[in-house]
Amino acid sequence: MAVDALGARHTAGVYRRSIGAYLRSIAEYPADFWVMAIAGSFWQVMMFAFMTILFGNVTTVAGWDYHEMLVLAGFLSTGWASTALFWDGIWDTGKMIIEGDMDYRLTRPASVLVQIGSKHVGMQVFGEMTLGLVMLGIGWTGAGLGLATVPVGLFLLVCSAVIQAALLTIANAANFWMKGRTPILAFMLTELQNEAMRFPLTIFPATVKLVLTFGLPLAFASFIPAQILTGRLDPWWLVGPPIAAIATAALAVWIFKRGLRAYDSAGN
Amino acid sequence: MASVDLAYATITFKRKIAYKSTWLFTVLFGGFSLMAGLAVWSNLLGDGELGGYDWDAMKAYLIIGFLTSTLAWSGSDWEMANRILDGHVAIDLTKPVDFQRARAAEYMGGMAATVPSAIIGTAAAILIFQPASPVSPLAAVLTAFSLLFIFPLAFAINFLAVLSCFVTQRFLGIQWARDCLLAFFSGLMIPIALMPGWLQTLAWCLPFVHFTTTPASIYLGRVDTAGALGLIAVEAVWAVALWILARVLWSRLVRKVTIHGG
Repeated sequence: MAVDALGARHTAGVYRRSIGAYLRSIAEYPADFWVMAIAGSFWQVMMFAFMTILFGNVTTVAGWDYHEMLVLAGFLSTGWASTALFWDGIWDTGKMIIEGDMDYRLTRPASVLVQIGSKHVGMQVFGEMTLGLVMLGIGWTGAGLGLATVPVGLFLLVCSAVIQAALLTIANAANFWMKGRTPILAFMLTELQNEAMRFPLTIFPATVKLVLTFGLPLAFASFIPAQILTGRLDPWWLVGPPIAAIATAALAVWIFKRGLRAYDSAGN
Repeated sequence: MASVDLAYATITFKRKIAYKSTWLFTVLFGGFSLMAGLAVWSNLLGDGELGGYDWDAMKAYLIIGFLTSTLAWSGSDWEMANRILDGHVAIDLTKPVDFQRARAAEYMGGMAATVPSAIIGTAAAILIFQPASPVSPLAAVLTAFSLLFIFPLAFAINFLAVLSCFVTQRFLGIQWARDCLLAFFSGLMIPIALMPGWLQTLAWCLPFVHFTTTPASIYLGRVDTAGALGLIAVEAVWAVALWILARVLWSRLVRKVTIHGG
């Protein structure tokens, strides 16, 4: 047990130092930071504009009004964007496998997964997160959710970030077997979120709903929390997101470890 | 077209065809967004209409959007950007070919490789979803004609985006910004007709509108024949103007190239 605690502290230390080093390096390249932060805000601005224009023409979408939809969109953006802050390095998995960079990580006395996840920070997060929080804030007050709901919201947001990071890890770990520089599955995951999850899942056919809730638990990262917050689901559902978070995180670690075992270096 | 242009186009065409998975995924991504779009708008429209689009018209609109976005996103933008970012552009300067023209040829080759799958995808979508048919045979012909301008327009917009790599030294952020502008101002995300007046005016003043709204408007008869010809003329003007703009910018930005080593 003492060894476990020591191991966890060591891993946390590695993570903190690795990501800290990257955060310090950002300060060295301010122009790069601004380009990425502004580019990151583009998609969110567009989402915001989309919702506003849409609700200039209709009053509800599948029973959700403007502010409730902003809660959904803002929640999705903030949860997803936070992975770029603390787990963006995972996107390099495929590249590291092909280029043999993985060998180098394997020789270091620290968890490979943590080394990769904390490799860098997606600077777009600063734009994405700001706009995501703005949407969430406007939706939150507009829908009359009040301050008392904030702790629940934060708890759900943490669960959502863990689920997103775990799914990203699984999608990127697929490159251990698929052998390609591009993380195609991770792109598909992103696309699926952007296209499907910004609307209430109820507009889709039942099979799609089921798959996105229990097959690929994306719903637990945005739609279910938004439903809990807007009072559409019984508070009992609050146990769902943490269970989904723990399950997906455990699965991600397991799959990544299997991937490392299947890794046979780049050779020359 | 000179043989050197054809050679460049053929190379990218072959390269693109070789990576079958990327090719397939381009269509799959478009398919995702088409499905999501259909689900959303069928829910929103019901038996009614919004901004003059009823369900049948909206199906046609979304399928045209699928076709145009599949084509628009199929070029070799990263290959172009990497030439600038990794310094290959310095070698290109020593070659007796025009940089912009060579990249245009490559880009067309890349887009051409996507045409078959884009057409198959569109045909399948038409058979499955039964959208509104074109308002007249002439409108159908003019729609097809207006779609041809997507080739030069997509190249010009991408080339201009890539040129910014001389300044930013990075392409990812630029690519995202470009994708957003294109998705929003083409009307792919939400039809221009639903936007407030000032935003509609802004959208029609930009080249992006010709990627979805123009062909869809001609197809659905939202503009008459004279209007359709007018829109096609505007597309042609944009294609020429952006080409010239790119030339001017290139001649200025290329001075930023620093050649290292000895």
